[in-house]
Amino acid sequence: MIRTPLRPLARILQARAKGENPDAIEKENLRLRHEQMRDQSRTRAESRLWVLALAFMFAYGMIGMRMGVLAASEPQEPQVAVSGSAIVAQRADITDRNGNLLATNLATHSLYAQPPLMVDPQRAAQELVAIFPDLEVDRLTRQFTGDRKFIWIKKRISPEQMQQVHDIGDPGLLFGPREMRLYPNGRLAAHVLGGTSFGREGVRSAELVGVAGVEKEFDQYLRDPANGGQPLRLSLDLTVQTAIRRVLEGGMKLMNAKGATAILMDVHTGEVISLVSLPDFDPNERPRPLAQGDASDSPLFNRAVQGVYELGSTFKIFAAAQALETGMMTPDTMIDTKGPLRWGKFRINDFHNYGPQLSLTDVMVKSSNIGTARIAMEIGAERQRDFLGRLGLLSPSPVELVEAPGVKPLLPPNWSELSTMTISYGHGLSASPLHLASAYASVLNGGYVVQPSLLAGGRPRTGERIVSEQTSAALRDMLRQVVVRGTASFGEVEGYSVGGKTGTADKPKPTGGYYEDKVIATFASVFPTDKPKYVLIVTLDEPEETSGTEPRRTAGWTAVPVAAEIIRRTAPLLGLRPDIEPASTFGVTLTSN
Amino acid sequence: MSYLEHNLRTVPTGLRKVLYVNWALVLLLTAVASVGFMMLYSVAGGSFTPWAEPQMKRFVLGLVAMFIVAFVPIWFWRNVAAVAYLGSLLLLVAVELFGTVGMGAQRWIDLGFMMLQPSEVTKIAVVMILAAYYDWLDIEKVSKPLYVLIPLALILLPTAMVLKQPDLGTALLLMIGGGAVMLAAGVHWLYFGGVVAIGAGLVTGVFASRGTPWQFLKDYQYRRIDTFLDPASDPLGAGYHITQSKIALGSGGWSGRGFMQGTQSRLNFLPEKHTDFIFTTLAEEFGFVGGFSLLVLYALIILFCINSAMKNKDRFSSLLILGIATTFFLFFALNMSMVMGLAPVVGVPLPLVSYGGSAMLVLMAAFGLVQSAHIHRPRRL
Repeated sequence: MIRTPLRPLARILQARAKGENPDAIEKENLRLRHEQMRDQSRTRAESRLWVLALAFMFAYGMIGMRMGVLAASEPQEPQVAVSGSAIVAQRADITDRNGNLLATNLATHSLYAQPPLMVDPQRAAQELVAIFPDLEVDRLTRQFTGDRKFIWIKKRISPEQMQQVHDIGDPGLLFGPREMRLYPNGRLAAHVLGGTSFGREGVRSAELVGVAGVEKEFDQYLRDPANGGQPLRLSLDLTVQTAIRRVLEGGMKLMNAKGATAILMDVHTGEVISLVSLPDFDPNERPRPLAQGDASDSPLFNRAVQGVYELGSTFKIFAAAQALETGMMTPDTMIDTKGPLRWGKFRINDFHNYGPQLSLTDVMVKSSNIGTARIAMEIGAERQRDFLGRLGLLSPSPVELVEAPGVKPLLPPNWSELSTMTISYGHGLSASPLHLASAYASVLNGGYVVQPSLLAGGRPRTGERIVSEQTSAALRDMLRQVVVRGTASFGEVEGYSVGGKTGTADKPKPTGGYYEDKVIATFASVFPTDKPKYVLIVTLDEPEETSGTEPRRTAGWTAVPVAAEIIRRTAPLLGLRPDIEPASTFGVTLTSN
Repeated sequence: MSYLEHNLRTVPTGLRKVLYVNWALVLLLTAVASVGFMMLYSVAGGSFTPWAEPQMKRFVLGLVAMFIVAFVPIWFWRNVAAVAYLGSLLLLVAVELFGTVGMGAQRWIDLGFMMLQPSEVTKIAVVMILAAYYDWLDIEKVSKPLYVLIPLALILLPTAMVLKQPDLGTALLLMIGGGAVMLAAGVHWLYFGGVVAIGAGLVTGVFASRGTPWQFLKDYQYRRIDTFLDPASDPLGAGYHITQSKIALGSGGWSGRGFMQGTQSRLNFLPEKHTDFIFTTLAEEFGFVGGFSLLVLYALIILFCINSAMKNKDRFSSLLILGIATTFFLFFALNMSMVMGLAPVVGVPLPLVSYGGSAMLVLMAAFGLVQSAHIHRPRRL
């Protein structure tokens, strides 16, 4: 910075020459310099003031605007059901298709101890054990007198127990609110619902986490507060489920089976109306998975979805469907059934000898392995594989259960011609009963593919056609014949025209080969056959019907009567009216007085 | 420029000072205080007790204090600035030692006839010492690091003590108020940039230290910040204040429900309805119009102060007026922002309206300083 000197020599000399006081010049210069400095600081101060003023104005604007926004807003009371902790998130209810509760929440309390607050740990421990006999006095006492500041005693207790603990009167025993999941129907639909357990646990609440079934599959949805507590509506019908479970349980005992499963499906939408797997469990007290042994022996095992079985002759209908659909055959085409059918070193036999040839319908009615194998030969491996694939029999079921994606149907390593033949009558390919249900629904509902669904309303239909309307009708007619005069004659239910196909498959030994005396008996049925509404699959694991001289194991003697009883009970519940048989089929007796 | 260069005879003396008082400012202050009386009357359900009457008495007391301070020459106040500053620090220490604990914080000293909140005094004392400091300092040295560190220490010392009480709102006011004086005094921009950077770092530190044993703030302060960021997360817990006051503002609408017709505040939905959250009552009963009018009154007070500061050629006076105006502005800006959910809930009253003794008295005394600077401003012959 260049400054003008206060006493410029030139001017001072001039002034002296003129006889003026040089101090006046200095004074004048000083004044000018001060003025300059003042102006400088003035402008700077002013600019700073403007900055401050701007900041003020900005704040004013914000406040004013906010005031306007709030004044214009609609006052709204806060809506949160529970206050307190962040992990309190009500889990949505689950209902059946008619809105009946299948799963809900119940407010209970948890019990915990804070030993530093305890007055008499010894007495508290003793009295607690009197209330909860499963606790141990020594252990509790040790915990209460140890270093720990916080101890969980019980995750959930009943109101009575809470009162009793309260009456102990120890200030170190404390309760926290705790929501638990309640399944009011107990074992009913246990495998579909799965179950829940506690996730993160806090004193004031605990997270409920789905561990299996739809509870796990829809865990995010059920916990999402954005759904506003809307219940999850399943496709199950509580009443029908109850009836089927009861009949199936009785049937299982009667047939001495070690397990059983039944699936009732709407043929048009794929909605699962009922799904029962026995033995089952109570989801309120979900048992632990088996530590050792076969998982399929656990009651947790869902036979309908997780059980992959060779479903035997029930598969024959798919060969017939393809034969009709390709135009290769009509129901009356005669097929060579001379046995045994040799293929390399293998021989294919029938249960009985059915003579040199049978019509296509009779191959189904009598359930001829040889006849079906010959049809499959005509169709060929490629086309068979493609057809079964489109029916969803070769891939995990898309049903909304967390267990489903992990269950892959067992396919032959290479789809040889022999495989083609055995698969046509249901051996060499294992699928779950649910797979069978949706495949049956697809070929029998008029011919479009449906996918199994546990949600009310089902899945949006893709509209993919698998067989024509006529083929579908012809297949239903064949199935009707099987019941009227074939292997499933016990399947007749008066007033409801039931059609179906039996299947009895030897159980494979874990070591290879097949058991002689252990079978999986399946009856896959559709009703009413003239106007198809429902598909029912009943599968019994190792059944043995012992009313005769020799134990009978075939599906016709075991699965079929159980299925018939189920249809007899549930058809009225499903709103189906009993009617007389359509005139086109025979075996009708019109009684009149 | 200082008074040495002016003829003191141009400054009014004796009773003539009454003529030079900024009467418009007095009028504005009275108007704002009257709004407060009305609201306190309404909040008490149409009664002068327990709040409106004591508040009126205190306001009159405050007016007297203001005039006393106003008639004392401003240079006297400049000379005692350091004493006032030290005194306020002593008070802060005293409150730490003998103070009364109220609402989770140690903030009050019982003087017998009233409860004094030393942090209120501190706010004004800090502004005074800073103004005096910059009046004393050569203008060229303002931005030299050493001479920036001194005022920084002057601000941070009481701030740290206030934070210890703990009183986040006052700490914030002290820092921003002091900063404003430094800004107006012409400290270089870069320093402010630095402070902003440090502040950002501090905020990060505060959040990073959360949950560790050496966390900076108390749990309730963290919760307040949480609920500020998302009041809906806990509407019945810590977010209660904000949610309820927002409802009150919304139900007031544009023109309000009418005097004494407010439900939200009078039905005891709101805690602190007569102190920090009194603005909600105003907004509910007089709506946007009422709230905005109060905002305009405040704005006029600030404008009068800035105008007076700009015209005043005495450096101490103008810096003092600006500092006080900024502090005053921060008071109501923070309060309104907090009530309307623009800022976290920090305990800052609505100046001159909220029920409260020391805040009112100290503010009136501060406006006495403004008046004194106004009356005794340097004039040329």
